[in-house]
Amino acid sequence: MNKRNALTSLPRTAWLLFVALLFLIPFYLIGRNSLMTDSEITSPYWAWLSPRPQWSNFSALFHDPAAPMLTGLANSAIIAVVTLVFQMLFSSMAGYALARIPARGRNVVFFLILATLMIPGAVTFVPTFAVMAYLGGVNTRWGIIAPGVFSAFSIFLFRQFYLRFPAEIEEAGRLDGLSYFGVYWRLLLPNSTNIIMALGVLTFIASWNAFLWPLVIGQDPSAWTVQVVLSTFLSSQKLNLPQLFAAAAVGVAPLVLVFLVMQRYIVEGAKFSGGKE
Amino acid sequence: MPILQKSQADRSATFAFWAFVSPALLGLTVFTLVPIVWGFLLSLSHAQNTIHPGHFIGFRNYADLLTDEAFLKSLVTIVVFAVFIVPLTFAVSLGLALLVNKVGWGRSFFRTVFFIPSAVSYVVASLIWKVSLFNGLPFGFVNHLIGLFGVHPVAWIGTAHPPWYWLVLVTVRLWLQVGFFMIIFLAGLQEIPKSLYEAASVDGAGPGWPVFRYITLPQLKATSVSVLLLNLIAAFQAFDEFYNILGGSGASIGNASLARPPLVYLYSLALSNQDFGRGAAGGFILTALIFAVTLLQGRIFGFGGSEK
Amino acid sequence: MRTNDAPLLHTQTGFVNWHGSRRDFLRGVTVAAGVLLVGCGHSSVPGARVTLTQWYHQYGEKGTQEAVVRYAKAYTALHPDIAIQVVWVPGDYGTKLSTALLTRGGPDIFEGQITKPMVTAEQVAPLDDLFPPAVRSDFSPRDLAQNSVDGKIYGLKMLDDTGILYYRKSLLKAAGLAPPKTMDEVIAAAKKLTTGTRKGLFLGNDGGVAALINIAPWSAGGDFLADNKIVFNTPQVAGAYEKMRELSDSGALLIGAPTDWWEADALVQGQAAMQWGGLWSYPTIAKALGGDVGGMAWPALETSGHPATFLGGWSAMVNAQSNQLEEAKRYLKWLWLDSPKIQEDWCLGYGFHVPPRLSLARSAAPLQAGVAAGAVKDLNSWGRSLPPEWNSAMGTALTDAVTNILKEGRPAAPELAVAAKKCERELSRLLE
Repeated sequence: MNKRNALTSLPRTAWLLFVALLFLIPFYLIGRNSLMTDSEITSPYWAWLSPRPQWSNFSALFHDPAAPMLTGLANSAIIAVVTLVFQMLFSSMAGYALARIPARGRNVVFFLILATLMIPGAVTFVPTFAVMAYLGGVNTRWGIIAPGVFSAFSIFLFRQFYLRFPAEIEEAGRLDGLSYFGVYWRLLLPNSTNIIMALGVLTFIASWNAFLWPLVIGQDPSAWTVQVVLSTFLSSQKLNLPQLFAAAAVGVAPLVLVFLVMQRYIVEGAKFSGGKE
Repeated sequence: MPILQKSQADRSATFAFWAFVSPALLGLTVFTLVPIVWGFLLSLSHAQNTIHPGHFIGFRNYADLLTDEAFLKSLVTIVVFAVFIVPLTFAVSLGLALLVNKVGWGRSFFRTVFFIPSAVSYVVASLIWKVSLFNGLPFGFVNHLIGLFGVHPVAWIGTAHPPWYWLVLVTVRLWLQVGFFMIIFLAGLQEIPKSLYEAASVDGAGPGWPVFRYITLPQLKATSVSVLLLNLIAAFQAFDEFYNILGGSGASIGNASLARPPLVYLYSLALSNQDFGRGAAGGFILTALIFAVTLLQGRIFGFGGSEK
Repeated sequence: MRTNDAPLLHTQTGFVNWHGSRRDFLRGVTVAAGVLLVGCGHSSVPGARVTLTQWYHQYGEKGTQEAVVRYAKAYTALHPDIAIQVVWVPGDYGTKLSTALLTRGGPDIFEGQITKPMVTAEQVAPLDDLFPPAVRSDFSPRDLAQNSVDGKIYGLKMLDDTGILYYRKSLLKAAGLAPPKTMDEVIAAAKKLTTGTRKGLFLGNDGGVAALINIAPWSAGGDFLADNKIVFNTPQVAGAYEKMRELSDSGALLIGAPTDWWEADALVQGQAAMQWGGLWSYPTIAKALGGDVGGMAWPALETSGHPATFLGGWSAMVNAQSNQLEEAKRYLKWLWLDSPKIQEDWCLGYGFHVPPRLSLARSAAPLQAGVAAGAVKDLNSWGRSLPPEWNSAMGTALTDAVTNILKEGRPAAPELAVAAKKCERELSRLLE
């Protein structure tokens, strides 16, 4: 039996290895190109790796006065973390209320939130910009952050999650004299680690990778995010290929790390978005 | 007394409800609901170089767009794109999930490899695809590979015959999103009760197509529907890879004419041409199309969840 | 130290050395940390009464960003109560600028190209008082027309750009070719110059749709928008695009290069023997290829036509909503009208551009000989631009038609008829 399993799984493993190789090519290309000189990259004769890795591409990247990579990294990190924290807080609060607190108007609020989920961002992009301009958020970091903090999608997922939360635990807490806030803070939040981790990673990624909004709001270089800095390399009239790929490597690396560390939570979280509930 | 208690409880519940819900509700109102209403008013206005509704012209913006060949062509383009990308993503992510689920060795390795691209932004991925992977010169990676077999370098992006740019556009999205949907399928697969498979093997059904057809697939129905739905909505809102690979502004704007999805067209209409009235109207037309397709999909496959 | 602009212009080398030093790297880190702690936003400069925000798009040539900052500081040195905050904008500049102009927080001064709706929406302020007759006569009528809407001047031309068909003299000679004089000769030469690893001609990665969409019809005597009428739906223009298709189908065009026609890489790296490019690249090309390069305007379509090229470039404008309108205008006057040294440094110190001031263009040494001199002459004879009434929606309609003609092989006349109808609709919207 065991032998048969090993035999049938051999072609399967071979297939997977082949596809995995294909999936890794783009990462290989980032690494390869970021360590080459321009003429090595554009040479018609293919070299799998540079004979002399150009680590200086990376130091040049951080010295380029036209594209502040350090500021970009710092901005992206701050923006992603703040977005993450507030989105988790506000969404879990709203999700809890929608799932567990009986009150008039609850259904209306829920359908309102569901409705905003359906509208593509393209419809609201320009008017949101107008609102932000009125609020004075253009060219500020909070202006980049604020719209991303409020997500109908994560409110919806928190609601679905809290709907499944065992009623007995909540009732026991209520009998012990906990208020609604107490129940949320002492019972639900500590038991939401999985969903917070899963959604949190996705939020972090979305925020780190966001491009159009930070591009339009963050006009001053002091407000640029990594993606905006990257786009300066792409759109620059003088394309510097090695620096471009070095910048891509620097922009991608933190997320790959976050992914590797947090992967099991995302896998766990996939169950919530799987439509089972 | 109990009546009083009840109404007190009601009141404290109402208070708690609004206290908990108000930060999110306020934010969604300011940054989503107000913009939706604003956008709708804009769509009824002649708003050239201004974002203030006021010069109302009824539904003329809608009428103009629905008789605009370029916009109609962009709707066709996005439907064609969805027809390619949605089934392909579905099949590949389900296939990978099935393989990874059963593989004896290196399961978490494979899962990680397929999943990691989800962390990469469209900006970076488009860059790799355009400049390195599908570069038209001999130093492009794919051109190098086909060169090993004696094939001449191909200009993947700039020509209409054959339309190789579709290969570039479809593969980049596939690479970026397949891992995420694979994870969702994996989660679904793990929730299928083992007893079902055991019962099947008792009934003499061997592993393979019949088990997949009559057990796995029906059991994955809810998951499949939500994967299709997410995938479809994302496909209809495609912008980044078209904009970054074919171009949305700048030197080689001619390539953008080859395949222009609605959001790229509306971007150029609203943000380059500053016609915010038509831009907003186009957004609502696209929303209507997404609604229609979602409903259609619901009619065919159901919406998942409730039928189980 | 900075009482006039002359010593300033000599500090360039100091800026070039900026790159390697460790101290500056540390300074960069400190600045980044400072940004983190303080947060960002418009910081007003201490001591200055007025801060003017000025936007530039990201120029490709090295040293340009440092140059505009230097000019701004020189002005503050002369007028300590006025600080200039220069914002260097990468990426899709047009979109960022037009979005910013919709709000109160837009820049006081910016560069761009004038369109009629910007005037209608009162986004730009008229600058006629900066143009007394003596100044006005020192600009070419074409530059003035490009920056005027309904008889008023809204843009101050900072530099004139033009396009050049560059070719490698040695490769033409080796193939026994003379520089092409007509489009047919271009096609023949491009085919003959195509070898295994090298293509004959580079016109951009869309095969010349964007680069020649106006120039090819111009070279046949056609035009697009004149006297508020769409005029491109003619057999001449259709013939020009069909000839472009012949070039496109010749297999001699380079497509899929990492950079586009506005950079000279394809020519310099030997991927193409001829390339349509900008005068701005000439210093780079001359440095790389020495004397092995020639250039000219785009050749006539047929012997009955004439060479054609574009008159491009950037104009400085003042935001009509600015609270510091007069200060902004005074600064612009100093920067681009009263300081010929600055204009010379700006136009010729980095890439090559033609100074819009005729007096300066006539005397500028680097433009007196060779390819550059030819380009200036061609610009003066054949340089054209589209009027401020032409907008990007019309551009999209025409680009779609030309893509269909060139790449899908459709007949030109019906495609142009469709595009013309659409452009007429856009025009009537615009003039509404």
